[in-house]
This record gives sequence, structure tokens and C-alpha cells, in this order.
Amino acid sequence: MGLLNITRRNALIGLGATALATRTGFAFAQASQPPITIVINQSPWFASFQATVERYQSETGNVVNLDVNPFDGLLEKQRNSVRAAQGEYDILILNSGWFAEMYFGGFLTAISDIEPGFSLDPNLFTLGNTIYFDPETKTMTPAGKLMTMPIQPNVPLLYYRGDLYEQHGLKVAQTFDDLLNNAKALHNPPEMYGIVQRGARGANAVSYDFYPYLFGMGGALFRDQAAGDYTVVLDNAEGNAALDYYITLAREAGHPQTASQDQAQVIQAMVTGRSGHASLVVAAWSQMDDPDKSAVVDKVEFAPTPHAPGLPPGPPLGHWLGGISHNVPDDRKRAAVEFFRWFQTRDAQMATLEAGGIPLNASIYEDESLTTQRRYRWMPALSAALPHAINAYGFPEGPEVVAVLEVGLNRAIAGEIPVPDALNSMAADVRAIMEKYGYSTG
Amino acid sequence: MSPAAPTARIAGYGTLVVAAAIVLVPVVWIIAGGFRTQISLLMGEVLFRPILANFREVLLSSASDFLLNYRNSMIVGVASTALCVSAATLAAWSLERLGWSPWVKHLFLGWALLFQMIPPIALAGAWFTMARTVGLENTLTGLVLAHATLNLPMAVWLMTVFVRDVPNELVEAARIDGASGSKLFFSIVLPIITPGLAATTVLCFVFSWNEFSAALNLTNKASATVPVAIAKFAQDYEIQYTQMAASAALSIVPALVLLLIGQRYIVRGLTNGALK
Amino acid sequence: MTTLGAVGAPTTPARAKRAADDDRLWRWTSFGPALLLTLAIGTLPLLNLFVTSFFTVSWSGGRSTWTPVGLANYAQLPSDPLLQAGITNTTIFAFSAVVSQMVLGFLLALLVSRIPRGQILFRAIFILPILIPGIVIGAIWQLLLNLDFGLVNQLLGLVGLGPHDWLGDPRTALLSVIVVDIWHWTPFCFLLLLAGIESLPEDVFEASKMDGASALQELWNITLPLMLPTILVTLAFRLVLAFKVFDEVFLLTGGGPGTATEVISFTIYQRFFSEDRVGYGSAMSVVVIFVISLLLVLALSSRRWATPR
Repeated sequence: MGLLNITRRNALIGLGATALATRTGFAFAQASQPPITIVINQSPWFASFQATVERYQSETGNVVNLDVNPFDGLLEKQRNSVRAAQGEYDILILNSGWFAEMYFGGFLTAISDIEPGFSLDPNLFTLGNTIYFDPETKTMTPAGKLMTMPIQPNVPLLYYRGDLYEQHGLKVAQTFDDLLNNAKALHNPPEMYGIVQRGARGANAVSYDFYPYLFGMGGALFRDQAAGDYTVVLDNAEGNAALDYYITLAREAGHPQTASQDQAQVIQAMVTGRSGHASLVVAAWSQMDDPDKSAVVDKVEFAPTPHAPGLPPGPPLGHWLGGISHNVPDDRKRAAVEFFRWFQTRDAQMATLEAGGIPLNASIYEDESLTTQRRYRWMPALSAALPHAINAYGFPEGPEVVAVLEVGLNRAIAGEIPVPDALNSMAADVRAIMEKYGYSTG
Repeated sequence: MSPAAPTARIAGYGTLVVAAAIVLVPVVWIIAGGFRTQISLLMGEVLFRPILANFREVLLSSASDFLLNYRNSMIVGVASTALCVSAATLAAWSLERLGWSPWVKHLFLGWALLFQMIPPIALAGAWFTMARTVGLENTLTGLVLAHATLNLPMAVWLMTVFVRDVPNELVEAARIDGASGSKLFFSIVLPIITPGLAATTVLCFVFSWNEFSAALNLTNKASATVPVAIAKFAQDYEIQYTQMAASAALSIVPALVLLLIGQRYIVRGLTNGALK
Repeated sequence: MTTLGAVGAPTTPARAKRAADDDRLWRWTSFGPALLLTLAIGTLPLLNLFVTSFFTVSWSGGRSTWTPVGLANYAQLPSDPLLQAGITNTTIFAFSAVVSQMVLGFLLALLVSRIPRGQILFRAIFILPILIPGIVIGAIWQLLLNLDFGLVNQLLGLVGLGPHDWLGDPRTALLSVIVVDIWHWTPFCFLLLLAGIESLPEDVFEASKMDGASALQELWNITLPLMLPTILVTLAFRLVLAFKVFDEVFLLTGGGPGTATEVISFTIYQRFFSEDRVGYGSAMSVVVIFVISLLLVLALSSRRWATPR
């Protein structure tokens, strides 16, 4: 393999890019950084990340290898690597489901420890401050260290059929009442469901679908995670109202088998034109406009998930972060920081957008020449939603809590247990889990 | 075997045809899925205009390593099956007929069964650590050894059964003629157990060919196998059904070829020939 | 059937001695490779599982801390709600699926072995499903069984039956998973039982023909008893594989609705891997392995009293 040759050629291209690099305000590494390896999963947004990485390689001459894995398997590969004496991967692309495990377990070296003066682009979305971690207080606040670089700002948006809205003279749903009314107006089963919700039990299915309702009504799982207060409040009045509403919506304007619909079925209902609404992560937008995958090309519009009057929307984070492994050589850690320094810039994020990805730099969302284009019509909704994004689990035992919620919520939606009982028993189980691990539960 | 009565034969064929239809419809549906657009598959259309885009994507796109995965799977499948089946057949013969104490035999067979029951997730993690220690992580050798070990319990148990059917008279006759040890095994025993050997070989290959958990943990981009590649189509926010179907269709081919070759040996008559 | 481990009747002394010497070397070279593979590559994972089940493993600062907890992990098992559902469902699943597969596989193998023409074709067809990776089976059958667009409901519609949400209705979810598993794994039984049938000695059948035995008598008195070892081993390994079922169910139902299709391997994956409670997950695995072993010992020892002659 002519790996060396490629490197040298890229280095030459990199030299050509030096002028550009200095203009955009970051120092170009005089020689090449050592090659680094990023472990990531295959996904609808992978192609855009890959294109961005390729841009970095041609601009700087630094080599970045991508180790692409199935989604079900990424965590296994990452655990194998960070738990070994010597890590295999320099940058880990972490899902919202397990980045806390990596923070708490000490598997990452903080960016601000590798380079104390590292300055974060002020326009970067900080995603519920999940990029920071204070190892002393075990909380995620800007007072802590800069642990990770945001990679993919995924939150759910309300997908709706713009063409049908026009036909029925509906206005974009802002509150939960709006959503119920609009969904009812489009509901004509079995040809058309007003909304298809993701009520199935899965690894992180119904609970993720339920959070926009819970958070949007002012409810929460714990009283104040950022302050270390893990008193379970899931079963309070807001929690009851949210689950009642979720079930009412399903019964009056939803799929007859909401309790068995997982994300694949929700997307299927949307792209086949069987559903008027869906709450789906922004990353799924590209499927809506692909004629090979969708019968509703150009007909789906996007809005922030609804909220109660006077409250902001409450989209739960389903994001991806990039962290630097603790057990790799220092020069590779520094090379990883160099990549992040470049990745956060507006130019790099524009490359992501052009390759079909979702940029992380707020300044791009302010550019009206972009946001008014049809293919970027999800951008205003996303930029409105992101500042309110909520991280559901700021602790590593999240998967245990999720398992309780998935079963409890699913059974309540299937009508097996009444709402208050379901919430009470879930709250009790979650409380027991948090107590077992020594969190303060009030 | 003498031909059965006509009515019985018709009933027999009838049953087989119905069973074949039940087996074939979903298989055809999966393969056909590789030739259509995702929306056509999701809409459940029975008639569709075939396209080749999925196969092109799976085989030729820059993001895909399918041909490399294919080659890796082939190497691992053939090597691990050869290793596993030869070790298992020899061991089966040894344990059954070479005077090992029942304790050794039962301990080994029992242990093999226990091993077969370890959850893949626990197994793969431990194997990764071991492979890392001896420097076999991300190599095909590591995966070959893993798959051979993984399928060994089943192969040993099956071959034990087939070896037991070797007529004792035949073995004794050969012994009296002076054949012993390896000669006896290769010239007398092996031909008799060919049907069982062929079936076991086919199963070991198929199991290696479709194994995911160990393959995921013990390989990287350069050494990944087909099941790891196929799993990449089940993504976080999107199941790419049609590409998955296309790659599944491609993945069936080598196993099917091996099967067609292998099952020519699953035939009656070899035993008789040897006896007379 | 021969007795276990018997070398056979004595022959002339000199030859017997030479053969015995040869055999002594040969018995080690023949058993050696399998023994080496199992000991070298198979021992550590099993031992590791057993030892880990008495610890709680936690990570901080990138290092693990192993805290011995005695039998605490085992003590938690009975109150695990997922495990309870998992055991019930897996037991129902494994027994109904495996029994059906054995019966169907045997029937098909018998029929295929007796037809004069088309053997190769039918063999090739009946083996197809095990060639398809489990994850693909799960994904595609989930589409086939879909309420709104699935082929199964379309076909039912042709004969005037209403659509049914096979995987979504808790009453039919497990049944649907079982049917898919039967479809997927009957080839395993078919292949092995066919090999078993084909290696039966023909002279026994000829003798029974001469005695004027009917086909049913022949099946009951000769084929089945002779096939018993093959049947038992096939059954044992199908059972073990059925208790480990994961891939198909993962994309079909994910264990839902509720816990209607929760299987043990899901629970183990959830506790051992997703929640990273390796100690507790190991304890769960050890118990499951122990229980299945017990079942298998019972099933396999039936050979002792059922062996003919």
C-alpha cells in the first residue's frame, strides 16, 4: 500500500491550503500531526462526517482513519479499546446513551487537560452543557472541564405534512392542544393516522418518544440533575398530565397499535404517507426527501416539538459527542485536539452541511441565504429547538433507568396498567436504582 | 428403497411442494427486496420495476468494503470449518473407539456443551482480551481460531453420533488385516461417515459465515466479515432494508454453492458398499 | 449400537499388541487438537464468567475495581422482573419451536430420502433459510408481518381475513416469533436428520421388507430407534441454540410489547452489557447455563433407557 505516498500527496495539498487556514484564524501545524483513528458508527449522517474529515485531510495533510461499525456494536468496540492497557482508537464518537459512562469511568482525557488554553468557538451549540464535566462534583456544567466536541446535534422535531396542513387550513402546532387538534383533523384511519407515536419497548424507544411531552409540560425525571438532586419527580402532576396526554393523542388521533410502533414503523408510516405527524430525530429528515425512500417528497415540514403554553419545548438530546481516549499516546491526543479545533469552525461546519449533514455552528443557522432554501427547511426548527435541548441522564447508570421506563411506559400505553400506577411503580423502581448507587434522592 | 404406492408418493410430493413454497416465498421476498427501492418495499408492493442500485451501492460504493468482507468471510469460513471439522471428527473417533475412559469422554462432551451455552456477549469480550494479549486482535487468524472453537462442541457431538454408526465388525475385520491407527481411520472410517461429515461441515461453515458477535469484537475495517457489514445497514435512525436484502442475497451464494457440493455426499449407499 | 469406549473383541495377540501401540499414539494425536482448542481458547471465558459472578465490577479513573460480593448477585436474581418474563417466554419459545422443528425436519427428511426424483432440488430449497443472517431474517419478517403493508396480511386479505398486528398484539407476538424461528431453523434439523437417515445400514430395511413390515411399522420399529442418537443430539443443540435466540427477536419485536417476547438472552444482554453490570449478568448466565445443562442431561440420559437392544 502506498500509504506514505498518499500522506505526502495530501501534505502537499495541505500546504496549498495553508493560506486559507491562516485566514480562518487557526495555526497550521508546520509538519503533519501523527495519524489518528476515529471509531464511529454507520448512520444516515455518516457520509457527511466522512466528507468533513476528508476536507480536513486535504486541507492539513493530517491523516484521520475512520473505523466504521454497526450501531449495535459501537459501544462494544469502544469499551474494548478504553479498557485495554493501550487504546486502539484516539477519538471515540459517543452516543447520548453512553457518554456519561465514559466521563464517570475516567475513560477520556479532557480536551482542556490536553490543551488548557483551548478555546471553544462561541457559536458552537453546547448541547445541554453535556460537553463539560466536573469530575469532583460529577455534574455537567460549564464550570467543569471541556470533555468532548459536539459531533451531531440530534434532537426530535415535529415532522408534519405541509401539503395536508394547507388543504385543511391548519396552522403549525405550537402547543399540545394544537397538536391534538391538528392530528385529529388529519386522522382518517386506516388510510391516514393523525400521528404515529413510537410507543414500543426497545433499547431507548418509548421513553425517548415520551420525553418531549414530559419536558414540554414542565415535568422531569429528577428534580435537578445539574445540582446533583436526584429526587424522582416522574410521578408528579406534570408527569401524569404528560402520560395522559400521550395516551389520549394515541387513542384519538394515533395508530391503533401505538404500543408496538418502533422508530422503523414511525418512519415507515411517514414516508409511505400514512401519517400526518411524527416526532422524529432531525437526522431522519433526509429520508423524507429521497424519492427512492419516500412517497412524500417535499411534503414534510418541520417544527420544534410542542410545549405547554408559557413553557419552552423540551426536546431530549439524542446527540453524539467526540471524546479523546485516555489510553493513547500524548502526540495522538494532541493530534485529536487539532482535528477538533478545525472541526468546530464555521468553514468545517459548512462542509458538513454541504455534504448533507447537520451543522453545529449557530452562525450557519443565522444565514438566511441558507435557511430559506427548501432542502434546508429543517434548520429554523432545529435552531429554535436546540437551545432548549435537555440531557435526560447525566449519570452512567442511565441504561438501567431506561429499562424500567421502557417497560412501564409501554405497558401504560398498551392499557395494561392505569397511568398513575404505572408512574408510581416506575418512580419507585428508578428511586431504588438511584439509591443503590448512592445518589441523593431527597 | 422400493418405490412406495402411487397415492403415497403423490401425497409425499404434495407435502414437499407445499413446504417448499412456504420456505421459498420469504426467501424470494428477501432477494427481490434487493432489486427494489426502499419505498416500494415499505409500501408492500407485490409488483415492482427491478433496479440494480442496491447491488451497485453494496458492491461498488466508496463507503462499502463488501468485496473485502466477502473475501475475509470466505477465508474464515473455509479455514475455521476445516480446522473445526477435522479436529472434531478425529476427537469423536478417538473418544468413541480408542479406549478413553468414560470419564474423559463425558467430561469433555459435557464441557463442550457448557461452552456452547456461554452468552455471545460474555464470550466475545473475554476473547478480545485474550486476542489482544497474544497479538491476534484484528487478524483473520484470531477469528479462525475463535470460530473453530465456537463450532467445535456441536461438531464433536454430531460426529460422535455418526462415528458410533460405524459397524464394529468392519473395524475388527480391518484390524485383523493389519490396519491400525490412522490408516484404519482414513481408509475405513472416513468413507463410512461421509454423510454425517458432510452435514456437519455444511453447518459449521454456515455458522461461521453468519456469526456476528465474535467477528465484531475480533476484527477491524481490514478484517471485518460479511455479517458485520450487513449489520451496518441496521442503523440508529434508519434500517436500509433494500441494501440489507441485496447484501443478504449476495451472502447466500457461496454458502449455497458449498451446500450443493457438500450435500452430494449426504447419500445412502456408502455404508453398504463398505460392508460387502 | 456399540458400548461406550470399547475397542472391540480380542484378536491374535501379536497383531493386537502392535495395533494397541499404534493406537496409543494415535489416540492422543486424534484427540489432541480438539482438546487443545477447547482448553486454550474455551476455558478462560467460562472460568471468567464463573469468577465474575461473585464480584461487582466498577470503573473509575479508567481502572476497574473488583469488589467481592459473595452470593449477592445470585440473591438478586429471583426479584428481576425481566428475568422472570424471560425465563417463561424462552421456555415456551424453545420447547414449542424446537419440537416443531424436529417433527417437521424429520418428516421432510424422511420424504426427501424416499422420493426417486428431485432430491437435490428439495434439499437445496429446504436448507435456504439457515443461510440467511439472523439480523436480515428479523428485519424482513418484521416487514412481512407488518399491520399496514405486510405481505402476510395482504395474503390473508385475499381469502377475506382482516389484517392482524401479529407482532404488536401481545397474544400473538410470541407465537409469531416462534413461527419465524421454525421457518428459520427447521433446515438445521432437516439437514442432520437427513444425514442420519442416509447413513442407516440398508440391510436392516431389506430384512424388514422380507418380513413384510408396513411402512409405519418400519418407521416405528427400525428407523426411529436407529435414529435416536442423531435425534437426541440434534434436539440438544437446537435447544441450546433456541435458548440463546437473539438476532431475530431483536429486530422483530425488541422484547415487546411489554415483556411479551422478552427472552433470556435479551435480559442477559441488557444487564451484562447495556447496564454494564458484568457481575450480575455473569451470575444470570451461570444460572441459565446450569438450568439448561440440567435439562439436557435429563434429555440425553433418556438414551440410556430408550436405546434398543
